[in-house]
Amino acid sequence: MTYIGAEVIISPLGESAETNWSAVYDNRSGISLVESAGFDGESVYLSKILDFTADSKFAQLLIKAMEKVSAGIDDSIITSDKTIVIISSTKGELDRNINDQFGGPVAAITERFHLANEPIVISNACISGVLAINAASNFIDAHIYEHAIVIGCDVISDFVVYGFQSLFAISDKPCAPFDNARNGITMGEGCGAVVVSASRGIYKNPPMDLLSGTTANDANHISGPSRTGEGLFRSVKKTMDSHQISSADIDFISAHGTATVFNDEMESIAFDRLGLSDIPLNSMKGYFGHTLGAAGVIETTASMQMIRNGVLLKSLGYQEAGTSKALNIISENRKAELKTILKTASGFGGGNASLIIRSI
Amino acid sequence: MTRIKAYCHLREDFCLVNGQVISKRDTNSEDSWFKQIYKAQGFVYPKFYKMDALSQAGFLASELIKRAYPEMVTAYKDDEIAMVFANQSSSADTDLRFQRSYEQNGAPSPSLFVYTLPNIVLGEIAILNKWYGENMFAVLPKFAPDFFVNYSRILMSAGSKAVLGGWIGIMEKQINVFLFFVENDGEDGLEFNSENLSELARM
Repeated sequence: MTYIGAEVIISPLGESAETNWSAVYDNRSGISLVESAGFDGESVYLSKILDFTADSKFAQLLIKAMEKVSAGIDDSIITSDKTIVIISSTKGELDRNINDQFGGPVAAITERFHLANEPIVISNACISGVLAINAASNFIDAHIYEHAIVIGCDVISDFVVYGFQSLFAISDKPCAPFDNARNGITMGEGCGAVVVSASRGIYKNPPMDLLSGTTANDANHISGPSRTGEGLFRSVKKTMDSHQISSADIDFISAHGTATVFNDEMESIAFDRLGLSDIPLNSMKGYFGHTLGAAGVIETTASMQMIRNGVLLKSLGYQEAGTSKALNIISENRKAELKTILKTASGFGGGNASLIIRSI
Repeated sequence: MTRIKAYCHLREDFCLVNGQVISKRDTNSEDSWFKQIYKAQGFVYPKFYKMDALSQAGFLASELIKRAYPEMVTAYKDDEIAMVFANQSSSADTDLRFQRSYEQNGAPSPSLFVYTLPNIVLGEIAILNKWYGENMFAVLPKFAPDFFVNYSRILMSAGSKAVLGGWIGIMEKQINVFLFFVENDGEDGLEFNSENLSELARM
């Protein structure tokens, strides 16, 4: 068994998994209208950590996450030569050093936390976070490492805001995943972290069982999702088959749900093909925005909080069905015993990834 | 045994396949170095002209490997070839160009922005070949043979039967590309291990 636990979230909603959980449980969002954030000086809805203006926000978030992780586990794990740190991110500290977006922050945490192994950065667009958790599990199953600290982190920069504006992909209101009136993403920033380990004993709170998943490419378009959901379909099917999990075993799906017209439509088609249309589902982008390379980790950690608290969390921003295939989107928080949950992600470059977490 | 079946290097002035020089840069040409290779090798794939340098490098190296080892096209199902790429600078070469588009040239360029992720090259190769397999792009401080060997083995133990992998470093005029194709149960070719991979990467 591969364990996952010691989860951390740092977002505009708070600096721990617990404070974030209490905010999302109240259905509060980290999204606000940020003045002059757009290319022509227009105001843009963002999920931005406004009270944190350090120069090196990316590195500082990594350091904070490492500190919080170390409080949740036997802290000798941090410096162990059997531990690898895996960072998932799309743009790192691009706002400070565009030529070397990861070297500085990686060196900073290596030195500060006396890491025995050089961290690995996974930069695979919006599936980076889910892929990094799967990679952690794979390294442990292959006995290359015994423990992995996975940190997903991305910060908002002019670069990404202007870029998504140039694609006309940013919503003019807080994003509304899967809703009929959805019209684009809301950018977010933040950090999520989990510890994946072969050993149950290292966790201060009970961990869960990580059923490592797979990735599959759409082989279709570099920036548009497959119309048939082919890559997502294949990734989820392989993940479920490899652990002999059937659709009836899944209690909840944490979908990608960016709130663009085509992404959410694609996901509805893939889940319909998988026989998962009836499973309660949400997108957490209405709470955290789209945190790019951090999203998969933040949303996995928030899903783990749902298991711990026995609550199906409302999909914020959703009012009316707006996809060609029906989905069971959670419209109000409700109590539920959650044993097995599916997390998915899809992104530019045609990537799709999935993983399953099971309560023990 | 896992074997290296073919490999390709792109350097500033030379392009090598299995260690043999197949193209030399013409410094008098008006074409970019990658365009020179594309033309000299007779490739026909108009999308090539829209790609950024990172994706062009991936296209050229993967197509040249296919020519050197055509079985990789016929011997595998559409999801049996995984891709594991890495470099040190992510998509910085294109990131700089995109940044210039809004800082100096008036407006952010959407056609550049879609290439400001290092894994787009994996998407381009997947689209060209209709490959639905595993993908990973890592950013590492330097070429790390153990990373490629370890992760390729992990993927091959989980169902992938072959891996197209390697280092794809593109930063303005600096070009350091080394892609290889390995088969899980290959019969001949160099054994896929860190020593052999280091040796080949240095060529």
